[in-house]
Amino acid sequence: MSTAPKTLEEVDALEGSPVLVGRPDDRALSESLLEPVLGPTRKGWLMLVGALLVGVSYWIVSLIFTLFLGIGTWGNNIPVAWAYDITNFVWWIGIGHAGTLISAILLLFQQRWRTSINRFAEAMTLFAVAMAGLYPIIHLGRPWLFWWLIPYPATTQVWPNFKSALPWDVFAISTYGTVSVLFWYLGLIPDLATARDVAKTRARRIVYGILSFGWRGSARHWQHYRIGYLLLAGLSTPLVVSVHTIVSFDFAISQLPGWHTTIFPPYFVAGAIFSGFAMVMTLMIPARRAFGYQQVVTPRHLENMAKVMLATGLMVSYGYVMEHFIAWYSANGNEQFAFLNRWTGDYKWIWYMQLFCNVLTPQVFWFRWARRSEVVLFVASILINVGMWAERFVIIAVSLTRDFVPSSWANYYPTWVDWGLLIGSISMFGLLFVLFLRFLPAIPIFEVKELRRELEHYGPGVHHQGPAEVAR
Amino acid sequence: MPPLGLPIYGQTSGSLEARRWRTLEERERGPQDPPPGEFPENAQEAPGGFTRRSFLQVLGASAALAGLEACQPPREKLIPYVRPPEAVTPSVPSAYATATSDRGYALGLVVTSWEGRPTKVEGNPDHPASLGAADAVRQALVLDLYDPRRLAGFRRGRRDLSWTTALAELSALARGHEKDQGARLRFLVEPTSSPTLADLRRRILERFPRARFDAWSALGDREAREGARIAFGRPLEAVLALADADVVLSLESDFLAVVGDHLRHARVFAARREPGKLNRLYVAEAGYTVTGGSADHRFRMRSQEVLPFARAVAAELAKAQGLEKLAPLGAAAGADRARLAAAVAKDLSRARGRSLVVAGAGQPAAVHALAAAMNDALGNAGKTVAYREPAVFDPSGEGTGLSALAREIAAGGVDTLVVTAWNPLYTAPADVPLRTLLAKVKSSIVLAYRDDETVRAATFRLARAHLLESWGDLRARDGRATVIQPLISPLKESATEVDLLAAFVGMGDRGTYRIVKDGWRARLGFGPPPPPTAGSAAAGNPVDSNKATPPDPFERAWEEALAAGLVKEARPASPVVTATVDAGRVAQALGAARPEPAGLEARFVLDYGVEDGRGYENAWLQELPDPVTKLTWENAAMLSPQTAKRLGIASGDRIELSRGGRSVAAPALVVPGHADDSVTLPLGYGQKVHGAVGGGAGFDAYALRTSDALAFGSGLQVTRTGDRGELAITQGHFGMAGRAIALALDAEELPKAKAELDEHRGAEATILGQVDYSGQDYRWGMAIDLSRCIGCAACTLACQAENNIPVVGKKQVIRSREMHWLRVDRYFEGGAEDPKSVSQPLACVHCEMAPCEYVCPVNATVHSDEGLNEMVYNRCVGTRYCSNNCPYKVRRFNWFDWHGTLEPIVKMHWNPDVTVRARGVMEKCTYCIQRIERARIGARVAGRKIGPDEVVPACAQACPAEAIVFGNLNDPASKVSHLHADERRYDLLHELGTRPRTAYLVRVRNPNPELA
Repeated sequence: MSTAPKTLEEVDALEGSPVLVGRPDDRALSESLLEPVLGPTRKGWLMLVGALLVGVSYWIVSLIFTLFLGIGTWGNNIPVAWAYDITNFVWWIGIGHAGTLISAILLLFQQRWRTSINRFAEAMTLFAVAMAGLYPIIHLGRPWLFWWLIPYPATTQVWPNFKSALPWDVFAISTYGTVSVLFWYLGLIPDLATARDVAKTRARRIVYGILSFGWRGSARHWQHYRIGYLLLAGLSTPLVVSVHTIVSFDFAISQLPGWHTTIFPPYFVAGAIFSGFAMVMTLMIPARRAFGYQQVVTPRHLENMAKVMLATGLMVSYGYVMEHFIAWYSANGNEQFAFLNRWTGDYKWIWYMQLFCNVLTPQVFWFRWARRSEVVLFVASILINVGMWAERFVIIAVSLTRDFVPSSWANYYPTWVDWGLLIGSISMFGLLFVLFLRFLPAIPIFEVKELRRELEHYGPGVHHQGPAEVAR
Repeated sequence: MPPLGLPIYGQTSGSLEARRWRTLEERERGPQDPPPGEFPENAQEAPGGFTRRSFLQVLGASAALAGLEACQPPREKLIPYVRPPEAVTPSVPSAYATATSDRGYALGLVVTSWEGRPTKVEGNPDHPASLGAADAVRQALVLDLYDPRRLAGFRRGRRDLSWTTALAELSALARGHEKDQGARLRFLVEPTSSPTLADLRRRILERFPRARFDAWSALGDREAREGARIAFGRPLEAVLALADADVVLSLESDFLAVVGDHLRHARVFAARREPGKLNRLYVAEAGYTVTGGSADHRFRMRSQEVLPFARAVAAELAKAQGLEKLAPLGAAAGADRARLAAAVAKDLSRARGRSLVVAGAGQPAAVHALAAAMNDALGNAGKTVAYREPAVFDPSGEGTGLSALAREIAAGGVDTLVVTAWNPLYTAPADVPLRTLLAKVKSSIVLAYRDDETVRAATFRLARAHLLESWGDLRARDGRATVIQPLISPLKESATEVDLLAAFVGMGDRGTYRIVKDGWRARLGFGPPPPPTAGSAAAGNPVDSNKATPPDPFERAWEEALAAGLVKEARPASPVVTATVDAGRVAQALGAARPEPAGLEARFVLDYGVEDGRGYENAWLQELPDPVTKLTWENAAMLSPQTAKRLGIASGDRIELSRGGRSVAAPALVVPGHADDSVTLPLGYGQKVHGAVGGGAGFDAYALRTSDALAFGSGLQVTRTGDRGELAITQGHFGMAGRAIALALDAEELPKAKAELDEHRGAEATILGQVDYSGQDYRWGMAIDLSRCIGCAACTLACQAENNIPVVGKKQVIRSREMHWLRVDRYFEGGAEDPKSVSQPLACVHCEMAPCEYVCPVNATVHSDEGLNEMVYNRCVGTRYCSNNCPYKVRRFNWFDWHGTLEPIVKMHWNPDVTVRARGVMEKCTYCIQRIERARIGARVAGRKIGPDEVVPACAQACPAEAIVFGNLNDPASKVSHLHADERRYDLLHELGTRPRTAYLVRVRNPNPELA
């Protein structure tokens, strides 16, 4: 490729819209990006919080019923001992994957477009993991004993059973949660310092001052920060793959037709990224409008995310095809029946919905206009979220409804508590997110500033060049 | 724990009493007089001379006579362990023989008791009606005992009475009837064979010659006895000898599960279901029954078509098989039925003297008479069927008496009606207006266990003591008697039927125990007890006395009778008689039979769980899946798929059933194999007066049942109401989806099926290391013979009672959360119209490579050295992963705290050897590990190994068909080892490599090649 400088228009034509519109100066960036945090409380925001609190109350009531009366308040039964609980768990964990992928893997691959959305995605990861982590605990028959899954030197000398995938889950999720928190918080520190510096009230200065751990922006600080951030990115990268792989083992190591599938790890990881990007999209499109982030979150970002969704959506579709192929190829009647049951059984509408949402919907992203249309993206991302939830439900609950011995077959119907834990957790997630948008800088200001400088220095199109080329 | 309110028995005087206290409250208040009626009999007359020494004597004696301790109480009292007797080890249960009434006859039981607390009802192996087995209904008796809502005390109008006052008032009432010789005194009782009750009835009739006893039960054996009267001129009891019957034709008789000595029938029938010994069973019936499910050929026909079919068989026997005697009885049928009849007749005739025709209890007398005639002509009488004088009294009056009684009451001819039959106001035919009539009776005295419609209408009600609290006696069908002995003193103030009837002859204050015992003293020909050597107090209280008494020879006989559960009598009470069939009368009865009307037929049958309704408040029976439909907690109008289609009805639709101007709304249930144009209506549900358990569930089929159609009748109208409801059915899928689950083969296929069966047994290739159990002393295993299993679900209930399995209620059953560790799966083979059926008991199969174990994150389910798949409740956190990975889905989860809300008295039925599981833990079949451990303790103490067949789990013990066998697979002598090596053995889901310890034996059918 020629290194001859191109005009902005040329680049735009070749690469789509820029990752940063215009060349605002540092002060303008700080002001505009901190405006949601430091500005006055908006009515719309309060109304949204109020609405979400209603959902959260439903969630709390459902939790109280679950914990005090038992999980019999759910619709689970024998044979469907796992249903909404684990479906929700896997769904939330999957959603969490986008954050880590954007922050860590795209960082390592030096994808500049990640810059303005990474914190947003990380926060989403964090809240999604928090929601996800709840389910394995409350779904226990005796949740107060959840710590028995943790290997600790008990006087009873009884250890967890390491053959079971569930203790692996404990490690995977707790590691993932911890690293996500660290990664997110480390990235926040310079911006917390910015917020401290520009805050107008004393209280805020103190709070942000404490939160920013005395960041002064010295070269040494930056050096340590860079090392730490890269290290954490390196640590997080395998987690993107490992967490959902291990979650998929919960099913793959069993012998239930529909669960017992070796394709699960890659298929689950692809699905996780698929749903995670869809969730980022679902949240980003309204947030971008409401908080005026269009300058830093440009159609370019949206388009790139749409491309990721298209790619992972195709992987997921491949997974569906392969599951069916293997079921046929295995010549195992039970296996074949399990997949036939998806098409013809009592829950076939959920399966059709899943196919529509996960296979057909992302196909619109082959079209440039669709990738650039906020409306299409928003609707598609919601459909994908629904579809991915349906996928987990079909895998987990529908497989359980029809296993080996026909006499034990039974269907599953959710109760109001099941719905409360699903709708309520979405509300809680939303509430946390809305609070995050209000009180913390959702766009990494310093990174955008850095990006602006890089763009200024190297000119547009520079992100096509590797570091070596740049040095030359 | 709050006080249970258990009365503690003892005497009320003497120095001992001063030190004794019942409750902490009493201890603080100081001893008080017992409230009136605290003790059922005579307690107010406190005997003197009861000393510590005599007390210990009694305790020592009772302890020494293992198995007899309850039989020799001081006076009528049962002695609790106020001071622990030295020879009794707490935590070691004892067992007592007793009996319950099954259609008036004795069914011998052995009841397990823990320090005076009965917990488990089992069959008495020595009793001819049980042979060690017990059906679900009998086993559920123990739950009734601890029903917190049972009646207590005696009440006349609005006055609560003590037992003494009640007795005084009963005596006064009786005296009032003396002047007209009891012309206005009537008794409504259940048919019974009790010699004591027979004596009392005789004495009552001596005192009141114009009084009358009318027997009534909802679905008794009246038609059978009437049929015998037609055939033989007198009501005789047909006792089947199925062991010798090669070919059996059942004319809608459910002889394996309901009628006759069904437990014995099942035992000997099952013994003939092994290859080489196969008999052949033809069943002609409308609704699918347990017997129909065991048939080689099941002919689906409406109940009213059974008689023409039987006549067609008779005609074929006469025409083609040369039994000329039957010619006047036969009548040819349509071409379809004629082909079947010809084949059946040929088969019956081929096995002359080794065949059997059985008529069902619901079939009219003419069918019974015809069956008797066919058995006679085939030379079966005396060989496969024996006729005995019935031991129940007024054997034929049963049923007809009720209408007569109603007429008398309507005419104002009855002043006092004593009701000991179960809830006749509910069970009476719809055209007998007993409900309105009872108000016309001045004194209606009702003895009942629970509140019901009859109790509410009564002017004088008496709480009935539970069977396990009562003395009594009953005879088996072969005439042998059993003394009913109590296991516990009455938990609530109550009386027995003997007490009540005795009150009418001035013996009410003697108490059941003495009446029964003295009766047997006389019946066995012993003289009166020798007088004590000295002391006036001792004379009134011979056993309690510390004065020496000379030995009473009767005591030994009495104790032996109690211990064995059978009385040794010199002369059998119901001898086998030879009876000749009067073909003329049979022909006359057949000729008088009504022609077959068209239209929908209504059939009234006993429910397999609640029977005629008396099990309605028993949660175990309510939750026990029906052996055929797997329906729980309610009844439903059952009809065939084709009829349902014609009427536009689906399972769960609410339909309006009307017949003769009466109507009732019921849920519909489509049952494969049901006869077309016939609707089966199980009785016993929809009770208006009910407790929390029954809860008014189901519909009242009695509302449509009239005197002329007690078992079936035509003229049923069915309309859809448009409503739907959900039925609590535990098995939603009756097909096997083409999988090898419950295997059944025809006898001739079996030798060729080895290759096919080999795919379902033997070692499966694996890369996993396998545990070698050959070095262990014990390798526990089970074998379930599907060929023997009749699907009666006795095992399910035995497991429930043994293992403290909770009931969960209808809503939870609909949510598929029933807790039965052992379920009996029923599969239909063939088309929905006329399928064959296989029943398959399925509990944890204790896989050697258990899929549940490796997925448990906390090691809560692990393997024992002897190969048991163990569940550690304490360790379980409730991830339920084990259940998800269990291919047999036999694990059960405590979704709620099922036990927390139980009243303390209900908790008394728990087996102390078995943990009561908390909320949030998984549970499943343990192979009755508590029984294994108990056997191990016994063996260790004796310094030996556990015998090969020594451990019998609850399911195997209850199974009437001996289909379930448990034992040590490492002992080649054990029964289970032989069965595991049987040619019919296969492993369920063998291809998964789970290596289950429970093996199944293929069901073998023996179809008639002519009907292929």
